[in-house]
Amino acid sequence: MGPKDDRGVRAAAWERNLARLQATAVDAVLLGITLLMVEFLVLAFSGRRGPTGLLLSAEQILDLLHYAWAAAGGLALALLWNLFHRQLGSSLGRAWVRGVPDWEAPLEWTQTLRGWFTAIFIELTFFSGWLITELDLLTFLTKFGKAADIVRGLMHPSGAVLHEGLVLLVQTIFLAFMATAFAIPVAFVLAFPSARNLTRNTLTARIAYTLARTLMNFVRAVEPLVWALIFISWVGIGPFAGVLALWVHSVAALTKLYSEQIESIDTGPMEAIAATGASSLQVLRFGVVPQVIPPFLSFTIYRWDINVRMSTIIGFVGGGGIGYILKPRVDLGEWGEVGTLVLLIAGTVWLMDVISAKIRERIV
Amino acid sequence: MTVESAIRIENLGMVYPGGVRALEDVTLEVHTGEFLAVLGLSGSGKSTLLRCINRLIDPTEGRVWILGEEITGAKGGRLRNMRRQAAMIFQQFNLVKRHTVLTNVLSGALGRSPLASSLVLSFPPEEHERAIAALERVGLGDRFTSRADALSGGQQQRVAIARALMQEPRLILADEPVASLDPALRHSVMRHIEALNRDEGMTVMCSLHDIDLVTRYATRMVALRDGRLVWEGVPDEFDQRTFKEIYGEDAQPASNTGF
Repeated sequence: MGPKDDRGVRAAAWERNLARLQATAVDAVLLGITLLMVEFLVLAFSGRRGPTGLLLSAEQILDLLHYAWAAAGGLALALLWNLFHRQLGSSLGRAWVRGVPDWEAPLEWTQTLRGWFTAIFIELTFFSGWLITELDLLTFLTKFGKAADIVRGLMHPSGAVLHEGLVLLVQTIFLAFMATAFAIPVAFVLAFPSARNLTRNTLTARIAYTLARTLMNFVRAVEPLVWALIFISWVGIGPFAGVLALWVHSVAALTKLYSEQIESIDTGPMEAIAATGASSLQVLRFGVVPQVIPPFLSFTIYRWDINVRMSTIIGFVGGGGIGYILKPRVDLGEWGEVGTLVLLIAGTVWLMDVISAKIRERIV
Repeated sequence: MTVESAIRIENLGMVYPGGVRALEDVTLEVHTGEFLAVLGLSGSGKSTLLRCINRLIDPTEGRVWILGEEITGAKGGRLRNMRRQAAMIFQQFNLVKRHTVLTNVLSGALGRSPLASSLVLSFPPEEHERAIAALERVGLGDRFTSRADALSGGQQQRVAIARALMQEPRLILADEPVASLDPALRHSVMRHIEALNRDEGMTVMCSLHDIDLVTRYATRMVALRDGRLVWEGVPDEFDQRTFKEIYGEDAQPASNTGF
């Protein structure tokens, strides 16, 4: 009994230390960011001027901040707060990782250091954000004039590009369709190893899960616009590059949606099929696939819809479709023609939206 | 061990990941041809016990033999062959809802079907004949083209029994087969399970919580409490005292149980 209990005690102590470490790390990050925001605001309101004699811009101030000092200061404060948590009350990190002790639970936020810290942190974030993103209400409210031209153009669409626009609209819809169609089989195959509930049992399955998930997370993290640039230099400017870019992104997006659907199935039929002595492929075919087909269809149509929208932007950089002729007209300021194209796109997107909603309603 | 035991369970224990103990040191023998009822409160480990027998759940301790062959530790084709010998019937029927009744029954033959054709839902003609025959036995011969979820609960459970029959098993593991059915329909389903036991000689191990059903259908009974085997006997020996032993001092038999 002795050694076994000992192991239990050691494991518990190890877990407690890990929790302390996590709490301190969370606090160090929060306190470090707080110090940086305070320094930023102090500099912003101190009236300091740069080498050109002008007031420092937000970007210049961000460049001046003492990041290493803030990190060290944050860590020091976090250590102090976690060390004296009985006197100061639980820190945010400690409360998050370990929960608050009973005596703190009934306190209002104004009665704890943690509450005040949270409030100040949110305020600081808001004020820093206002300055960093250069919000300027006055300009927003008084300088509408220049934009009025564009709005006027959009409201008076010119017929000159209608024909060309319609032709490329057809290309856009098919571009989105092909990208979606090619994405279906790949996403379908990848969805099964990406589903947690199917990959718990064996080591191979867990490795497949990790690989599939990591790969798809990476692919999804890269914007379709970047994929478009990659494929344009690969296969040249035109709709094919657009299909490939949207295809890659759709595979990643559909794999995620499909696998989440697989994770939420009723496991009863799987159990029943496994109990007949069926092999694992048969269990997938009978116990899983019939349950996920309708939601898969619904997601796929939704994805087609999204791809039509995205292909406009893809066209901007040379991926074919209606966006391709939109870009030069924006650059030249031909707002009437831009208006025609925007209306065509908006109409199509609206129509796809309505149709896909109706179809999805029927399927599920 | 003797050949007569259809299932033999030795020192079976199950601790779920997260530390919940569902079974502790269960040793039990199910004799060939008997109808063994498993009693116990919900959460007493009945479902876990049944699922450990065909390894839908892997027990963490102990060993299980089916028809003289050890299933604990069996892998791949050997495990699947042993599962074919033990058909399972579930509380929630667990039919493939979007498949037809016929396909659901045919899926009972998956264990002996060629992989490739089964994946496109194609089965040989003789399996179709068997499936129709199985459906006729449970009184649903005319419903084979219906989608499974178009049937009532009682009908769905009869389809599940036809699926079990299709498997041509020697054992039936039934996990609360009538608990989610209207009380009026319970006997119709239980009678079909009884028929498999009496006419086909299949050994039945069935968890039930309705004492009435137990005394009416079972030839022997065991009871679980907190994952431990607390009682073994025949229905005639079951009395008020045993009831309290299994269900706790506060439990009251329902008024129609005859005590």
